[in-house]
Amino acid sequence: MKNQWMNILIGSVRVKAQGKGVERLLNACVRNDIVIWNVKKHSDHIVTFFIKLSDVKRLRIVARRSECKLYFVGKTGFPFFCKKALSNTGFLLGICLFFVIVFLLSNMTWGIEIKGAKPETEYRIWKELKRMGIEKGAFQFLVDDPETIQKKLTDRIDAITWVGVEWKGTTLYFRVVEKEQPEEPKKIGAQHLVAKKKAIITDMFVEEGQPLVSVHDHVTKGQLLVSGIIGKEGQTKLVPARGKIFGETWYKSTVVLPLDATFRVLTGKYMEKHYIKIGNISLPVWGWEKPKFTNYEINVQKRPFRFWKWDLPLYYERVIFRETEEVKRSYTWEEAFAKAKELAREELKEKLPDDASIKGEKVLHQTKENGKVVVELHYQVIENIAIPQPIVQGD
Amino acid sequence: MVKKWRQKMKRWITDKLELPADIVMDLPRITMVGQIHIYIENHRGLLTFSDKELRLLLKQGQLLVRGEKFVIKTILPEEILLEGKINQVIYIDE
Repeated sequence: MKNQWMNILIGSVRVKAQGKGVERLLNACVRNDIVIWNVKKHSDHIVTFFIKLSDVKRLRIVARRSECKLYFVGKTGFPFFCKKALSNTGFLLGICLFFVIVFLLSNMTWGIEIKGAKPETEYRIWKELKRMGIEKGAFQFLVDDPETIQKKLTDRIDAITWVGVEWKGTTLYFRVVEKEQPEEPKKIGAQHLVAKKKAIITDMFVEEGQPLVSVHDHVTKGQLLVSGIIGKEGQTKLVPARGKIFGETWYKSTVVLPLDATFRVLTGKYMEKHYIKIGNISLPVWGWEKPKFTNYEINVQKRPFRFWKWDLPLYYERVIFRETEEVKRSYTWEEAFAKAKELAREELKEKLPDDASIKGEKVLHQTKENGKVVVELHYQVIENIAIPQPIVQGD
Repeated sequence: MVKKWRQKMKRWITDKLELPADIVMDLPRITMVGQIHIYIENHRGLLTFSDKELRLLLKQGQLLVRGEKFVIKTILPEEILLEGKINQVIYIDE
């Protein structure tokens, strides 16, 4: 009883025994450790019972010593089921096909939803997606992973600031944030404007507050520029001081540039290999030859296969070999100095906010030493030096 | 004479030491669930079986079970589970 399921798994046989002394046969079976169950007596000399498939041989031996004849009347259980299934090839094929179809369908893209985009932006996104090969019916493991899609979309479409890409089952969701969205006005409390660094003021544009300095004044770091306290003495009022104070500031930078340098550059040639990975075993699917390149970079993309809604421990792996080339670059002293200056300027521009401008530059000194040039530069920059400083109430 | 004396001795021991009688004295242990199941341990083999009657050999005597629609659900060297409608359970002394 307790291992009824086991009996189904290993298979059981229904036996009909006919003859005198069937009880003796049953006793003999029990004594020989043949498990029998569901014993039924049909008439005086006929009894039916079940035995395990593996016990059939032993039962034959036992029965030979009795006066009974055996007939096998029924077979149930998994081994017989398998045998039957093998003879019904069409049925078996159908089951296999079912799993294959479910597997394929689970790995497809069935829906693409774009939210938060204006119609024209949405149209552009659709176009870009099509270019990337993302459309209904595309296999999930062949398209890029969400991070890459996100990066490509934000790079290629300038109208969006951010796009969230997420797989939910077989649907790809895009949540778009566009650039033209109005900023919410921030509520700011009472504040002063102070200098963020040492500077000479060149221009002032105060929206609110009491300016305390004027053009051509020399200010130091932390000096109060625009006060948030306005009104006559005794009737003062606190306001958030706002405005822009442009001042001339100074930057110093040092650039070291070697005359000779080697770079690794991608030549644009590449080849791909495709694998299916099960655990640690990689089965090559496409691309058997070895990369012909002498120098190359390897880029591995790994995507899991899915079944229904689960990720299988089965991966699709795409290995891309990109050929690289070593490029040597050498400058003359003059070229190196010019390049160094250019570099320094670019570096500074990157650091400065958008509304700042470089007014002038001066080379402090430039030296040549063991194949390198060292250039020290001094820059005059016009930038907004005002930063807010909240006024603490009760001060 | 010796056999009877030994039997008495065993009964006395189980009485005094509170040991389970079915183990010490090799008696059958019979469990019934209503009329539908009967479970007999410590039997010594099947004598006759039909859909109305089951006769089992015990260490001493025989056990006769009468009823209808009998099916032996499992049979092991010392255990038997019988299903059907049980009407009578009779001990037969030899």
